[in-house]
Amino acid sequence: MSDQTISTAQTESQRQAFARQRAAIDASARWPVLGFFTGSVVWLLVGTGLALLASIKLHSPEFLDGPSWLTFGRIRPAHLNTVAYGWASQAGIGVTLWSMARLSRTELRYPRLLMFAVLLWNIGMLVGTIGILAGEGTSIEWLEFPAFAPPFFALAFAIVTVSTMVTFSNRREPHVYVTQWYLIGAVFWFPWLYTAANLLVIYASVSGVSQASINWWYAHNVLGLWMTPIGVGSTYYLLPKVLGRPIYSYQLSLLGFWSLALFYNWAGVHHLIGGPLPAWLITLSIVGSVMMLIPVITVAINHHMTVLGSFRQLRYSPTLRFIVFGAMSYSAVSIQGSLQSLRTINEVTHFTHYTVAHAHMGAYAFFTMIMFGSIYYIVPRLTGWEWASGGLISFHFWSTSVGVLVYFIALTFGGWYQGLDLNRADVPFMTIVRNTLPYLQVRSWAGILMAAGHLAFAALFVMNLLHIGKQRSGPTLFFDRPDAATLTVIGDASGRTV
Amino acid sequence: MNQGPTIFLGVFLTFASAWLGLVVAPYVQFEAQRSQNAAKVDAPPETPMEGLAAQGRQVYRANGCVYCHSQQIRPENFGSDIARGWGPRRTVAQDYVGERPVMLGTMRTGPDLANIGTRQTSAAWHHLHLYNSRITSPGSIMPRFTFLYEQRKVVGQRSSAALTFPPEWDVKPGYEVVPTNEAKALVAYLLAMDRSRPLEEPGP
Amino acid sequence: MTLAYIVIFASFVLFAISVVFALGWAMSHGQMQNFQRGATAIFDPDEPLGTRTDSFPGSATHVEPPPEGSHE
Repeated sequence: MSDQTISTAQTESQRQAFARQRAAIDASARWPVLGFFTGSVVWLLVGTGLALLASIKLHSPEFLDGPSWLTFGRIRPAHLNTVAYGWASQAGIGVTLWSMARLSRTELRYPRLLMFAVLLWNIGMLVGTIGILAGEGTSIEWLEFPAFAPPFFALAFAIVTVSTMVTFSNRREPHVYVTQWYLIGAVFWFPWLYTAANLLVIYASVSGVSQASINWWYAHNVLGLWMTPIGVGSTYYLLPKVLGRPIYSYQLSLLGFWSLALFYNWAGVHHLIGGPLPAWLITLSIVGSVMMLIPVITVAINHHMTVLGSFRQLRYSPTLRFIVFGAMSYSAVSIQGSLQSLRTINEVTHFTHYTVAHAHMGAYAFFTMIMFGSIYYIVPRLTGWEWASGGLISFHFWSTSVGVLVYFIALTFGGWYQGLDLNRADVPFMTIVRNTLPYLQVRSWAGILMAAGHLAFAALFVMNLLHIGKQRSGPTLFFDRPDAATLTVIGDASGRTV
Repeated sequence: MNQGPTIFLGVFLTFASAWLGLVVAPYVQFEAQRSQNAAKVDAPPETPMEGLAAQGRQVYRANGCVYCHSQQIRPENFGSDIARGWGPRRTVAQDYVGERPVMLGTMRTGPDLANIGTRQTSAAWHHLHLYNSRITSPGSIMPRFTFLYEQRKVVGQRSSAALTFPPEWDVKPGYEVVPTNEAKALVAYLLAMDRSRPLEEPGP
Repeated sequence: MTLAYIVIFASFVLFAISVVFALGWAMSHGQMQNFQRGATAIFDPDEPLGTRTDSFPGSATHVEPPPEGSHE
């Protein structure tokens, strides 16, 4: 890659103009994005606490039992919804808003309205979570919030979509980068998904197996058409930005995007393989799930070839560590997902803890880790303050990466054996239950490790908001540039007025 | 640049095609089946559960039983559901007509319950099991649903609804444990769960 | 149940209308895309190609552009 003509041909004033533009963009995004990130960190902690409770209750069922709101059947959906909508979705929205503004090279539109959306979202989270714990949960997976909660999210999301699209339509950058396609897809798909599924399943009288079909179309598409585009899109932007080199093959990224759009839609019903749905419907979902290998492999090739030769940079960049871990997990979990939809594998893994491991590989090892990496990149550029401690960041990375890997290995093996035994009618059910216990206990230990990492992350986040640590010394760089003395500090992205 | 509408077009087409095939078509098919059933004079009731059992479904929903128990029987050559005695045949769409919510479940931390009403016919067993599953099933990891029961002092005669415990589990003398209405409804629901009757499944 | 039918079909009709609109607009503004430029659009004179933009806080490793023409 010898094409350095951009940097060699520009003058200092042009460089400053771009720095000024970037500072203005970051400043415009500050309040909404930090608002969503703050919400996401709060719910990450709540969701982690609920996760530990649920995990421990599975192998120690009398742990903290008594009141109805602490029963496993309520804690478990409360955990799912707090991490999926409280943590993951808010982090995703924050990343989307900032990325769209940056890539469009224009200020984020309607910041005050977005702050109102932050408020709506978190009120929805609060009433919805309390609703589940109070026994008002719907028992429809991923749609457990009772009927009074979804309107908050629908309205908040409409605001996010409008802001994102108006920002995009006012772009100064003529080229539409691949990340922008993914993000536009995400902000278009998710509100439609969410609204349609909620209307049909919760507010209308759709019942019976129609409900199940709609349920799992929705639930799987939250991962495939909301989390995946944001996670993959963010990687397509931050990987080259951190490394300073472009994506390996831009055409390949297009192929990846369109095949994802084409195939992921159909995959949702694979949650019901063997169930009371028409065979052609289930077969279609298996086909879609397997065809997903195309976009997954293109993304894997693209990301890997982009990083190739620079793996030692993992030592020096927090963002890179989390994002590379997340991107590799995306490839792994997606291939696993495609395999899991094949009938011979599904016959063993369906109904077992294996599926839970897979879900956490996707929602955590892939999406959450990429969100961590993105937040580590974005926040100092919004607040103008460095992260307070590299050691804490490192601790966060190691505890969560090791934690989720241990989690995954424990429940994958445990679930596989569980499934094999379930399919042997002569193995008593209670024997199967007993055999899963050690794996469930290991999962609790892994969860404690991950929780420790989350506490470190939350501490770092709060310290950055409170300006504990070093101020950023340049408009765009993390640390001293050798020519820092010759630079003027640009705009208020450094946050010195706060 | 104008990839905006092109992106939009592509996104919409792919999404709509999935929507049509995955959601609209089965929905239309199932609704047609439902109205077909309603037309038959001696067809079995659309909603098999009424009264207390229907209330029990809401207790099952409120407490998240679906997160450990499935309610679907897989075909004979796909898993060992039938061999385990969980049902005489696979479950089909007609078995769930009118259920709101339908709780097929995706985890078998506990056994499948599609036909539990035919397998376990004792209300007393269910009450003991719900109160503390380890009384009837040592080694069980099911939570205790003590909040569905009331421990109270015996006034005069023991209530006829009071749970009868094995000696090692008994409550202290002078006290009894009675089910609340929610517990009674839940047990009625469990006793009514039966998807074993032979059905003629219309063609796909 | 009737409401569900209305929701499904109304959404589909609305989508169909917007598709026609999008198609018409795309055709009247049809331009070919330059994908070569695409991959480098995220760089600019202030964060040029070859400049790494992330490091651990307080670490001794400076983020500095490598010498011109070299590639990691």
